Amino acid sequence: MEHSGLIMKFAWLIPAIPLMSFILVGLVLRPLSKRIAGLAATAAIFICAALAYLLAWQYFSCAAHEYAAVVPVTFEWLRYQAGLSVQMGVLVDPISVLLMVVVTTVSALVHLYSIGYMHEDEGYGRFFTYLNLFTFSMLGLVAAVNIVQMYVFWELVGVSSFLLIGFYYKKHSAVSASNKAFIVTRFADLGFLTGILILGYYGFKFFADTSAGQTGPFDFAYLNSAAFTTKIASMPSGIFDFSILTLSMVLVFMGAAGKSAMFPLHIWLPDAMEGPTPVSALIHAATMVVAGVYLVARLFPAFAASGSALMMVAYVGAFTSLFAAIIGITQDDIKRVLAFSTLSQIGYMMLALGVATPAHPLGYTASMFHLFTHAFFKALLFLAAGAVIHAVSTNNIWEMGGLRKKMPITHITFLIAALAIAGIYPFAGFFSKDEILASALGNGHTLIFAVTLTVAALTAVYMFRIYFVAFTGEPRTHHALHAHEAPKIMLIPLIVLAILSAIAGFVPMGSFVHIGTAPHGGINHAIAIAASAAAVLGIAAAWFFYAGQTARAASAAKAFGIIYLAAKQKFYIDEIYIFITKSILFRFVASPIAWFDRHIVDGGVNLSGFLTRMTGQRLRYTQTGQVQTYGFWFAGGLLLVMLIIWAAIGVKS
Amino acid sequence: MIEFLSSLTPGPHHWLVLSSILFSIGLYGVLSRSNAVGVLMSVEIMLNSAAMNFVIFNKYISPGAVDGQIMAIFAIAVAAAEAVVGMAIFVAIYRRCWSIDVSTMDLMKD
Amino acid sequence: MLWQVAYTVLFYLFAVAAISFAIGVTVSRRLLRAAVYLMGLLLTGAAIYIMLGAFFLAGVQVLVYVGGIVVVIIFAVMLTNSAQLGLATSPIYRKLMAFAAAASMAIISCLALWTSKFNLSAAAVPVDNIKAIGLKLLGTGSTGYVLPFEIISILLLAAVIGGIVIARRTTAPGQPFTTGGDEHAKFANSAPKSQLCIEQEEQKV
Repeated sequence: MEHSGLIMKFAWLIPAIPLMSFILVGLVLRPLSKRIAGLAATAAIFICAALAYLLAWQYFSCAAHEYAAVVPVTFEWLRYQAGLSVQMGVLVDPISVLLMVVVTTVSALVHLYSIGYMHEDEGYGRFFTYLNLFTFSMLGLVAAVNIVQMYVFWELVGVSSFLLIGFYYKKHSAVSASNKAFIVTRFADLGFLTGILILGYYGFKFFADTSAGQTGPFDFAYLNSAAFTTKIASMPSGIFDFSILTLSMVLVFMGAAGKSAMFPLHIWLPDAMEGPTPVSALIHAATMVVAGVYLVARLFPAFAASGSALMMVAYVGAFTSLFAAIIGITQDDIKRVLAFSTLSQIGYMMLALGVATPAHPLGYTASMFHLFTHAFFKALLFLAAGAVIHAVSTNNIWEMGGLRKKMPITHITFLIAALAIAGIYPFAGFFSKDEILASALGNGHTLIFAVTLTVAALTAVYMFRIYFVAFTGEPRTHHALHAHEAPKIMLIPLIVLAILSAIAGFVPMGSFVHIGTAPHGGINHAIAIAASAAAVLGIAAAWFFYAGQTARAASAAKAFGIIYLAAKQKFYIDEIYIFITKSILFRFVASPIAWFDRHIVDGGVNLSGFLTRMTGQRLRYTQTGQVQTYGFWFAGGLLLVMLIIWAAIGVKS
Repeated sequence: MIEFLSSLTPGPHHWLVLSSILFSIGLYGVLSRSNAVGVLMSVEIMLNSAAMNFVIFNKYISPGAVDGQIMAIFAIAVAAAEAVVGMAIFVAIYRRCWSIDVSTMDLMKD
Repeated sequence: MLWQVAYTVLFYLFAVAAISFAIGVTVSRRLLRAAVYLMGLLLTGAAIYIMLGAFFLAGVQVLVYVGGIVVVIIFAVMLTNSAQLGLATSPIYRKLMAFAAAASMAIISCLALWTSKFNLSAAAVPVDNIKAIGLKLLGTGSTGYVLPFEIISILLLAAVIGGIVIARRTTAPGQPFTTGGDEHAKFANSAPKSQLCIEQEEQKV
C-alpha cells in the first residue's frame, strides 16, 4: 500500500502553518487590526485541520490494517558528534495522526469560539497569537520523531500555557496561577530530562550493537526496540533495585505526570482555570494535559518491557482519578469541577495504558480512544461553561439556575456532553469507558477495575450535580434571571462538538490504533451493563440530592462531616506544599543560597570594583607632575634592567 | 706588602668603580636638588662620568685606536649644547614665574 | 716601579678629589659654590684623562667644559637670581628617595663592574695623540667619524640658535635687564606655587 502519497510530502505543513500564522499575526496583523488578526489566526488553523483530515484519510485508507510509522521529512538539528545527533522532523504514525486530528479540530473550534468570547477584551490580538503558538507547539510535540524534539516542544507547550494562563496579567491570582503551573511542570521536566539523558547515554553506548536502521539513539523507534530495552533492562542502576530501564522510565513518567497533572503534581491544574475559558477548553482539557498520556503511549513498548514502571503508571492513574472525582463533587466553581473532572479522566487514560501488556494490548487502544472522545466532550463542556459564565458573569453554580429556558442551545449541548462523560449509550464516552473497563478486567486487575467503576459513578454524580443546579430549577440570582443565549459565533463550535461527542464513539478505533494484533471490535456486554448501571446510579443520586431543593444536599454534606470538608479544601494538598516550600525549602535551602549569592558572589564582584577604585586612588599620588618623581622611577627601572641583565649574562663572565 | 700594594694599582676595575661612584653622586643630585640650575649641574657630573667611561675602556681594551676619545669629544659637545639650551629655558622660565624651583612645576600631573 | 707607585698615589688622590667635589656640587646650598665645585670636578676630570693617556681630550675638557659650560652655568645662576643664601631645599623624603636610588645604583654597578672580566689588550698607545684623533675624526670610510662630526656641528648650531630664541626678551624693551632686586627676592623664596604661574601677572621692575 502506498504510504508516500502527496500529502505525506506536505505533512510538515501541519506544524508549520500555525508557526507562520503565529509570526504573521503577532508581528504584522495584530498592530494593524485586531479583528483581522483573529480571523487570520482562525483561518490558518482551519486550513491546518483540513490538512490533518487529508493526512488521516490517506494514511488510514489502507486495505490491510497494518500501519507503519513513516517519517516523511526530517532534518538534522543538533550534532554532538558523529553518532550522536538530534533530528527534527515529522513522524506519521497512527497515534500521531490521531492526535493531529484532535488537536487541530479542537483548536480550530476554540479559535472560532474565541472570536465571540474575547470580543471586548483589549488583549484580543495577543490571545490569538498565543493560541497559534500553542497550536504550533502541540503539533510539534505530537509529530516528534525523537524524544529530544518532543522535549523541546514539551517546553514550548509549557511556555504557551504559562502565557495563556496568565493572560489577565493584571490579576494577581492569574499571575500566581501561571507561575504555579510553570514551576510545577518545570520541576517535573527535571525528571523527564534526567530520563532522557540516561536513555541517551546508554543508547549511544549501545547504539552500534543494537540499532537496526534508526538514525540516532534518541529516536523513538530505537528506544522502543526490543534489542535496546532488553539490553538496559538487564543493567542495575543502584537505586531501589531498579534496572536502568525502569529508572529512566520512572523519570520520564515523572515528566508525564507533571504535564498531565497526576497526583501529587496535580496542584496546578485547578488554579490554571484563572485563564480565559477557551484556554481551559483547549489546553487544560483536550490537548496539553494529554501530552503526558501521549508520551507514555509513544514509549509504550519501553514501558511494557519494564513491568514495574507500567504498574506505577496504572496505580498513579487510578489513584488520581478517584482522588479528583471525590474532590470534584464538593466544588462550587463550575470550572473547578470541570478541572477535577479532567484530572479524573486523564487518570483513566493513564490507567488504561498502565494495565495493558504486550500480550493483552487492549488498554493502549482504550486509552487513545478515550483521549479522542474526551477531547470533544470536555472541550464542549468548557465552552458551554464559558457561554454560561459569559451570560451570568459568575463562576459559582449556586448563583445560576434555570438556565435551561434562557439558553436552550447551550443547555442541549451541555446535556449531550454530560451524558457522554457519564458514559451513557450511544454517546462517545460510553464506548471508550467500556474499553477501559474491559482492559482493566481483562488483565486481571480487579482492584483497578473496582476503582474505575466507582469513578464512573462519581463522574456521573458531579457532572449532573452541575447540570441540575445550574440548568434546572429556578434562577437563583438576578443575573441568572436575565441571562441570554450566547452569540451565534460561540454557538457553532458548541454544536459541532456536540455532534462529534454523539458520533465519535462509533469510530472503530481498534482497527486504526493498536499495538500488536488488532483487537476485535464489539462491546463486552457484561461490562457495558455494569458501567451503564453505575452511570445511571450516579445520575439518580445527583437528581436526588441536587435537583429542586438543596436541603438534602446540605444534610448529606453534614453527614459526611469532616471528609466533606477536607474534600472541599482539596484535601489540603496545596497547604502541605506551601508548608514544605515556605518553612523548609525557603528557610533551609533557598535562604542560605541567596545569602551566599548576595554576599559572597556579589560581594566578590563589588570587592573587585572597590579594590580597583582604591588602588586607583592610591596610585594617583605617584603622578605628581614633578620631573624628579619621574626621574626616580626612571632610575628604578634602569636599576631593574641592570640587575636582570647582570643576572642573566654577567655572572658567568 | 708588595702584593697588597700591587693590588692597589689601578686597573680597569678601579677606574670603572670611580666613574660609577661619580655617576651615582650625580644621580643623587638630579633627584634631590630643588633648583633647576642645580639639577643641570648634577647632570653635567653624570655626563662627565660617562665620557670618562669611554676613555677608560679605550685605554684598557683598545689602546691602539682612539675611538673612545672621539666618543668622549662628542659627549662633551653634546653636553655643551644641552647646557646652553637648558640655561636659556631656565632664564625664560625665571622671567615668567620668578622662581625656578622644580618642585613647583607639576603641569605633567594632569 | 716608582712610576707605578706614583701612578697609584695620584689615582687615589684624584679619586678622592673628584668625589669630594661631586658631593659638594650636589649638596651645596649656595649655587655659586656649587658651580665652583663643578669646575673643580671637571679640572680633576682633565687630570684623570691625562693619566689615562687622552692628552688632547684633557685640553678639550678644560676649554669646553670648564671654560664654556661652567661659565654658562654661572650666567644662569646670576640671571635667575639663585646666588643668594637661603634657597629652598628639597623636603627630606625626596632626599631620602634620591639617596636610596643613588646608593642602589652605586652598589649594583660597582658590584657588576668589579666582578666582570675584561679582555685587556697590551697594544701600544699611538704616539701622536692629536694626529690620530684628527685622522679618525675626519676620516671617511668604515672607521671614520666624519658623519657624526658634521651632525654634531649642526647640533651645536641649532643649540646656539635655539638658546637665543628661547631666551630672548619678548616684553617691552626699555627696561634695564636686571637680576630682580629685593622685591623679587621675596617672591623667589616664597612657598611653591601649584601651577606654572598661569594666573600670575608679569611684574614690572
